[in-house]
Amino acid sequence: MDTSNFSELWKGQKAEQPAAADLLIKINKFKKRNRLRIVLTNLTLIITSVLMILIWYFYQPELVTTKIGIVLVILAMGIFVYSLNQSLGALKDTNAASSNQEYLKNLLTIKEKQHYMQTTMLNLYFILLSLGIALYMIEPVSQMSFVWAVFAYGMTALWLLFNWFYIRPRQMKNQQAKLNEMITTVENIQSQLKQD
Amino acid sequence: MKFEDIYQEYWQKIFRLCMGYVNDYALAQDLAQETFIIVWQQLPNFRNEANISTWVFRIASNNCLRQIEKQKRFQKVEMPQQLMEENTESIEPKIQFLYKCISELNEIDRIIISLELENIKQSEIATIVGLSEANIRVKIHRIKEKLTQKFKENGHK
Repeated sequence: MDTSNFSELWKGQKAEQPAAADLLIKINKFKKRNRLRIVLTNLTLIITSVLMILIWYFYQPELVTTKIGIVLVILAMGIFVYSLNQSLGALKDTNAASSNQEYLKNLLTIKEKQHYMQTTMLNLYFILLSLGIALYMIEPVSQMSFVWAVFAYGMTALWLLFNWFYIRPRQMKNQQAKLNEMITTVENIQSQLKQD
Repeated sequence: MKFEDIYQEYWQKIFRLCMGYVNDYALAQDLAQETFIIVWQQLPNFRNEANISTWVFRIASNNCLRQIEKQKRFQKVEMPQQLMEENTESIEPKIQFLYKCISELNEIDRIIISLELENIKQSEIATIVGLSEANIRVKIHRIKEKLTQKFKENGHK
């Protein structure tokens, strides 16, 4: 087969072209959805923080531990939303128009960073949250009878331990497995770009 | 440069690039649309000194390469056999075979040969992919040999 025929054959493949207007509608939908997602995640943070501040304001905690607890929980929320926004932001391509070679290099860097961020951020989130809750509880628990105090702390500790030893590793394993696979594939494609 | 003009001029070309990459009509349509969404988003960043064709093809091929992120999701939803046959029936078998062969190459080779068959200059392909021109020439030669071989084996002349 003459290789110039390949080009003719290649161009023989025709495809339906959606009207430009339809595509623009899609683009707008896409934009709206993206905006909604960002608004929603940030709203979660704001609502939680406002709630905590309201507690602070109306409940007037006396112990400093309660206040520290509130701050830590808000911080944990903040970290959670921040890392969520980060991973959403990574989807936006700033280097969409660079060469394949550079693009893959960049993609790999982003993925490796995500790998690190996920682990660190998730750990930090859980630690701050646990610490915050434990501190926050000191004040209300101190007004309970001993049995109830033990019960309240026991249940909370149980829930936190369950999170730390079951939910956290599971979440991490899931994320990491996906990322690792992705990284291997990108590395594999990159090896095709070695000059030979 | 207006988006609509780019869209008119490049749709078919970009679709073929995506089709060569995945050899799946519906998926290629999606990929082509995604490409133009990115083109639309990035258009304000486009500097006129760059070649618009290089720019569009870079976006398209990068988007194909990103496909690996989504592949898992798509693989699970396999089309029923019957529907697949109906879909491809109308296309000339030789064209179909060419696209099948190309989609079986490794990822970078798929992009290179697609651009070559689209009659893009080899120097431009080199800029799109990020390899030297000499390297691209060698690769194209090898890929074409491979394709010719496959066509021979399959009895297409």
